[in-house]
This record gives sequence, C-alpha cells and structure tokens, in this order.
Amino acid sequence: MKKLIARRMIFAIAMVIAASALAFAVVAAAPGNVAALIAERIAGPSATAELVRQIADDLGLNDPLPLRYLSWLNNAATGDFGSSLRSGKPISEEFAQRLPVTATLIVCGGIIALVMSLSFGVLGAIDNGGIVDRLLRPVALVSASAPNFFVAAILVLIFSVSLGWLPAFGTGSIGSWIMPSLSVALFPGAVLSRVVRINLQDTMSRPFATTGFSKGFSRPAVLLREALPNIAVPFLTTFGAQLTLMIIGAIIVETVFALNGIGSFFIEVIRFRDFIGMQAVLLLFIAFSVSVNLVVDILCMFIDPQLRRRTNA
Amino acid sequence: MLNVLRWAGRLPWRILAPIVLFILVALFAPLIAPYKPGVQDYSALLLPPGPAHWFGTDYLGRDLFSRVVMGARVSLVAMSTVLASALFIGVVVGSFAGYVGGRIELVMISFIDVVLCVPSLIIALAFIGIFGAGYWTMVGALTMAWWANYARMSRAVVASEIGQPYIEAARVMGASHLWIYVKHLLPHVLSLVVVYASADAGALVLAIATLSFLSLGVQPPIPEWGQMLVDGMSYLEESPRLVIVPGIALTLVVISFNLLGEHFALKKVPKPLPRRRLTRLMEARRTEEEMLSRQETIG
Amino acid sequence: MNAQAQMASQAVLQIRDLKIDLYTETVCVRAIDGVSLEVAPGEMVAIVGESGSGKTVLTLAPLGLMPEGVSIDIIGSVKCRGNELVGKARSAGTALTRGDVGVVFQDPISALNPMKRIGPQLCSQAMRKRGVNRAEGRQIAIDLLKRTGIPDPVDRYQRYPHEMSGGMLQRAMIALALAGKPRLLIADEPTTALDATVRAQILELIKDIQRTEGIAVVLITHDIGVVSSVADRVVVLYAGRIAEIGSVENVLTAPVHPYTKGLLASVPEIRSDVRGTVSGIPGSPPDQSHLHRGCPFSPRCALAIPDHCDRIRPVLLPIPGRSEGDQAACHVTNPAMKDA
Repeated sequence: MKKLIARRMIFAIAMVIAASALAFAVVAAAPGNVAALIAERIAGPSATAELVRQIADDLGLNDPLPLRYLSWLNNAATGDFGSSLRSGKPISEEFAQRLPVTATLIVCGGIIALVMSLSFGVLGAIDNGGIVDRLLRPVALVSASAPNFFVAAILVLIFSVSLGWLPAFGTGSIGSWIMPSLSVALFPGAVLSRVVRINLQDTMSRPFATTGFSKGFSRPAVLLREALPNIAVPFLTTFGAQLTLMIIGAIIVETVFALNGIGSFFIEVIRFRDFIGMQAVLLLFIAFSVSVNLVVDILCMFIDPQLRRRTNA
Repeated sequence: MLNVLRWAGRLPWRILAPIVLFILVALFAPLIAPYKPGVQDYSALLLPPGPAHWFGTDYLGRDLFSRVVMGARVSLVAMSTVLASALFIGVVVGSFAGYVGGRIELVMISFIDVVLCVPSLIIALAFIGIFGAGYWTMVGALTMAWWANYARMSRAVVASEIGQPYIEAARVMGASHLWIYVKHLLPHVLSLVVVYASADAGALVLAIATLSFLSLGVQPPIPEWGQMLVDGMSYLEESPRLVIVPGIALTLVVISFNLLGEHFALKKVPKPLPRRRLTRLMEARRTEEEMLSRQETIG
Repeated sequence: MNAQAQMASQAVLQIRDLKIDLYTETVCVRAIDGVSLEVAPGEMVAIVGESGSGKTVLTLAPLGLMPEGVSIDIIGSVKCRGNELVGKARSAGTALTRGDVGVVFQDPISALNPMKRIGPQLCSQAMRKRGVNRAEGRQIAIDLLKRTGIPDPVDRYQRYPHEMSGGMLQRAMIALALAGKPRLLIADEPTTALDATVRAQILELIKDIQRTEGIAVVLITHDIGVVSSVADRVVVLYAGRIAEIGSVENVLTAPVHPYTKGLLASVPEIRSDVRGTVSGIPGSPPDQSHLHRGCPFSPRCALAIPDHCDRIRPVLLPIPGRSEGDQAACHVTNPAMKDA
C-alpha cells in the first residue's frame, strides 16, 4: 500500500505544478504592463520608459514564459513570492501575517461543520420520519441554500445590532470569532448533514443492517455500530470537498467581518490588479486544495478494507 | 398532443412551481415593477413598507420592490447566459475528447481535471482580477469556471457509449462522424447534463450574487440581489429590510433549485408511514376483514 | 397436564392464529393470513412456498427483522421458548437479545458488513450472549468457525467478507448465528445464492448442527427438492396460509393439496424423458393486497368447485388415515372437509 501512497503523492505534486502553471500562464498573459505599474508606483506619473525597461529586465519579464514560470516556482518553493504590485511589501510577509487568521477560521469552521453534520445526520437517521427528523430536514435545506454573506449579515443583525452580545469586526476577543466561524461552517455543515442522513438511511436498508438486528441490537445500536462505519468514506470525501469550498466562504466572511486573512487579501489583489499577488495566492489555494484531496484519499484507503485490497492487487 | 400533456402532468409541479414563478417574474419584470429601479426620490429615503412602496425604499429613495423584481431578471439573464455558454463549451470539449479517444483524450482529461482541482469561484475571481470587474467580465469568468464539470460528464458519456455495437454499425453504414454524434451520442449527453444543469442553476445564481456582493460582478446601478445586499450593509441598523429582502429572495430561489436537484437525485428509500395514516389504514383493513368473514359464513 | 399440552409448552416456536399486514406508502399487503404452527425442540421444519407466499415474513416479522420503511401490524401470538414476541415494539426482539434464536440470511456477501472482520463479530456476540470475557470469546469464535467447516479458522478470524467465497461466508454466518447458543435456527433460503456444488454442503452442515446440538431449525425455501434430504416436517405455504403440513415422507410421497401436487409435479426428475413435457401450475400467485374470499388457490386449481371453493375458506384439518400432524386445507381433496 505504501507504493500507492507514494504514487498518489507524486500525482498530487504534479497536480499542483500543472494547476499553478496554468494559473501563472493565465495571469502572465493578462493585459497591462507589470513593469509599467511598478514604475508608476515607484516614480509616480513621471516614470520614464527607461525605468520601465530596467524594471522589466530586473524581474525577468522579457524572458520566455516557461523560464519565468520555473524561476517563479523556484522562488515560491523557498518562500519568496515577490513583492506586491500595490504596496511593495514582500508577499511572504503578508502571508505570514494573514495566514493564521484564515487558518483559524477554516479550522473552527471545519470543526463546527463536523460536529453539526454528525449530530444532525445521526439524530435524523435515528428518528427516521419522526418529529426531530422532519424538523431537521428543512433546517438543513435552508442552511444549504442561504448565501453565506446573508447568513453573516443576519448573525450580525441578531447578535451585534439587536442583542449586542458579539462584536461585529476585528479579531480582538474570542467572541469575535464566533459569528465568522458559524457563517463559514453553516453551508458545509448543512451539505454534510444531508450526506450523513441519506447515507445512513441508505445503509440501514442494506441486508447487513438486518443481520445487525438479528444479533439482538436495538435500532440506535445498529445505526451506530453497523451503519456509521460504512458512511465514513462518502463522508470524508464530501468533507474534503467542502473544506476546499471553505476557502471561498473564508473570502466572503473575512470581507464582511473585516478580518485580515488571505481571503480579504485575495480580494484586495484582485481589486488592484496586483498580478504578482494573485499568482502567489492562487498557488496557495491550489496547494491547499490538492493537499486536502490527497489526505482524504489516503485516509479513505486506510478506512475501507475493499479499497485496500484493490490497491494491493 | 395528448402525449405531451400527459408528460407535462407527470412533472413534479410542487417543485417546479417556484422556479416557474421566478422565471415569470424575471421575464415580466418591467411590467410588474411599479417604478423604474433607477428612479431616485430624495424625499422618500428609507421609507418602511407602505401602500406606495410595498417593500419600502432604499437609501436613495428607490423603490425596493421594483429593484427586487428587476434583480430577478438580472439574475435570470446572467445565469442563463453563463449556463448556456458553459454547457456549450463543456459539451463540445468533452464530447470531442470522448469521441477522439487516444492520447488526445488523455491530455484533455488531464487538463479538465487540473481545472476541476480549483474551486469554481476562485477561477472566476482570478479572471476578474485579470480582466477587471464588470458585467461581461463576470459572465466570461463564470463561464470559464463552470464549463469543466460539464466537459467531464460529456466525455464520460461519449466514451462509454462509443464502444457500443450500434455506433460501430452506424459507422459501417457510412454515417458521418457528425451525424453519429448528433443523432446517437448527443441525446445521451444532454439527458445527463441538462438534469445536472437544472440543479446547478441555483449554485450559479449564488455565485453571481457572491461576486456582486464583493462588487466584482454586476455593477450599480443595475440592480442585483447580492449587490443590493452589500449596499444595504451600511444601513443594517437603521433599515435591516435592505439586507433581509434580497437575502430572502436569494435563499428562496436557491432552495427551489436545490429541491429540483434533490428530486432527480434522491434514491427512494421508503419511509415509515406517519402514525395517523397508519392507524386509519389498519382500521380499514379490520373492517374489510370483518365484512369478508361475514360473507364467508353466510355463503 | 396432558401430553399434548406438555409438548406445547416445550415447543421452541409456537405460532397461533398469526395474521401479518405489511403497510408501505403505496400498498397494504396481507402477508400471513391465519397461520398456526409449532416447532418442537430439535426438529427441522421446512417452510416451502413461492415468492409472495409469506414464508420469509412468517418467522422474520415477529422477530422485527423486516426491511426499513415497512410498517407491520401483527395479530395473534408468537412464542419463542414460552416468551411472547408479538405485541412488543420493533426494537425488542427479545428472543434475539437473549440469544434464543439465530438467523442465517440468504446472500452472505451482502448480509455481512463489508467493513467488519468476521472473527471479532463472532467474539463480541459470544461475549454478550454467553457472558464470557474477550479471550474466551475469541476461542469460542474460532471453535465455531471450525465447527462450521471453515479451514484454517485462526487465519479466517481476521478476514473481511470480501476476502472469502460465498460458501465460506455462509458457513461464517451460520457460525455467527450459533454464537449465542440458540435453541432455534432460522435459515432463510440459505443456499439460494450459492453454487450448486456448495449447496449440498451447507445443507449437510445445517443438518449436522441440528443433530449434534439438538437445535431446532426452520428452513425457508422455495425449492421443494431441497426439503426432502434434510427436513423432518414440511409446511406448504400459499398466499399466506398453510395449504398442507406434515412429515416430509408423507407430504412428498402422497401429497393431498392440489398446490402441493402441482409443486411436486413441476420438479423435473432426472429419469424423466428429455423430450417430455414440463408441467407448471397455470396462472400466477395471487395479489396479496386484498383479502381473499374462500380458497386463494381456487383460480388456478383444476379441481375447484365453482361457487364453493371461491366462497368458503377451507380450514386446515387432519387428513384421515394419517398421523396426527398431517393436515391439509382443501374442500375437495381432504376427506375430513366433507364431514365438516
């Protein structure tokens, strides 16, 4: 099996390179002269053509595309992402400042989504058609449909404006993380609880569930002992996909709550057409996405004995 | 004619109704909206709902109801444009890859997989970052973000169907590649892709709203629900209406599309009957039994 | 207490006037329509019938082993070792919790959880039902695997279902059913999903277990040929009612009920002419969503008396001139009916 894990990791690295190459190519092909923008920032409107040419040479902007990509990737591997076109600050500095914010947001959101989906899904499946189940289903539907910026706005309206319990901006106290995390977690939590609920129900109608009953277990016991392990793979797969989507959630939530994370940074670089910043952030997002998929795949291989067999064969 | 009516009767109307309503409102928006959405009335700022303005007015005195109604039209048009383009590009690219096979197909699959690696909205944002914000940039960006999934599906369908004997038979009979594709393969592709797209539409409406919320999509003064929401954020305390109304509109539309998707996808696992209905059925059965035993003893 | 009552109180399974209705969202089906049956300790009773005859529902429904989403209404009495099963909630299949009953299902590959190893399931069942610790449970599990004819049981203990063949898995399932030291084993079509060569082996195993452990067996099958080699008594079920019941020898050599005759006639014999006719029973099984008036077999019966067989319900009565347990429910062929 180790062979397959190694193969999977190589594939992941190839993915990152391919995707980032694509991103790099697209950004590099963009209209707008990077050197001219930098020159303008440094010297103002009186920047000479001479200066522009010099900057272009310095940055290697006149080299062929593959060379530029490789040198950029090489720099990125050592943590040098260049300097922002807008502020001139090294991007690695920005990352160092902002990464903890986004990371905290995604981790908190992920945990909330995990707890929410497992509890709602299992409760709904145990109840199967009863009051709790019938109540949870529309709640999950609405949560999976409402835009997360709307959810964030409503949370602010209730807890900041009306009740005054939680602060609406900034990262001062622990309390200021509650609403952002909830806003990020609600949509994935709802999608995941649907996955849990449907898969549990599906599994409960399979023959081995009846065998579970024949062992003398009650319905909740069969659900937890026999059915739950079987939903691990679809659950993990969906969780991984939702984790990737949480990047987008983070972008929005950081904007609404004025948090200084990678998400809000991405919006800034987009608004100001900071191509260098864009390339760096895209690389980060791609790496995150691919890593999550990799971890999920490897975990699934460990969990499902049938997947394990297929890999050994 | 009768067959069409019968087919129409079997459609899930409870689920389709809100979507149809959305489409109708969007199509007839100019007729429904009492005011032109851009009309500003400085004497009527931030009015609460009343007879003159059913949803009240916003911070520029514009009628909220008209803006919401026109916003439906903007969402529908934008969503349809993106969906049509993404479907077209996706189906063409995917079908080509599946039909051609061999190394070309392999290269194209890898390309599609790489694109699918990145979340769609990130792709869209990257494009907007490169080409600037604006309505048409948004449409193009979302198209670029959305086509890959349809390409993957189309390729899978074409690749699996192409090995079938009836395709080979058609080739032998001299049918051209295009004819084979349109007559035999395209229907399969479309039946899968259209079903997915109809549920996907909700996600697209959400994406458009999200981009507009970030001021990177539909630009003012064109009304769009996400954009109206971000404008209303500054007035959250005074007039939460400005945020709540477009938010609810968005949620309702997305719910309808989600229900549609659920309808297509859900495997029918039988649910136990609700208690009251069960008791009624059991009583009916008991009565049936009594009547029968009386008949049997008499006869 | 007379001998009969004494026998009854010792019966491992005692079914009295059982009626079972199944309710789904679309239809209500009367699966069992008045069945009384007793299974004595250590005997093997085969229940034979077509699909839809109710043979699976008969024993599995009272134990709460019906598929999800089906609401069940059970009227009558089902006692297992004297404990009443009907009238309790679905989750309390007390006979199962106590380990009095073990069940072997039809398709072992789908009936066993693909994510669980075989051995630990046996071990935990043994621990729970027999009150032993883990080490003892493990030993019991290995012994059971050996008992059911699985070679190299210590290795097989660690295996997952997908690593074993169908026949091997069915043996494992039998071992699982035996883990609780049951007095009754219910085998629901245990050989239908297996290869022909393995079928005989599994049946032999079940017969062997019945003999040596003294466990009563209810063998559910649609294949009457299977019955003759292993069962003591046979129950022929049609449309949720008993058509005929008796010792295997009597029923198979001298069937009384027209349906039983038809079933036996439709089994091709190895000696019969290759070009000879294959007989079946005309018509199709009845729709169980409505209650039947009279005899449910009458539409397909060549001997049916019009306006009699389809109006008055035939009662299950002993066949005169035969041992007491042999009974048939037919107006025409059971002489006892004429006197009634």
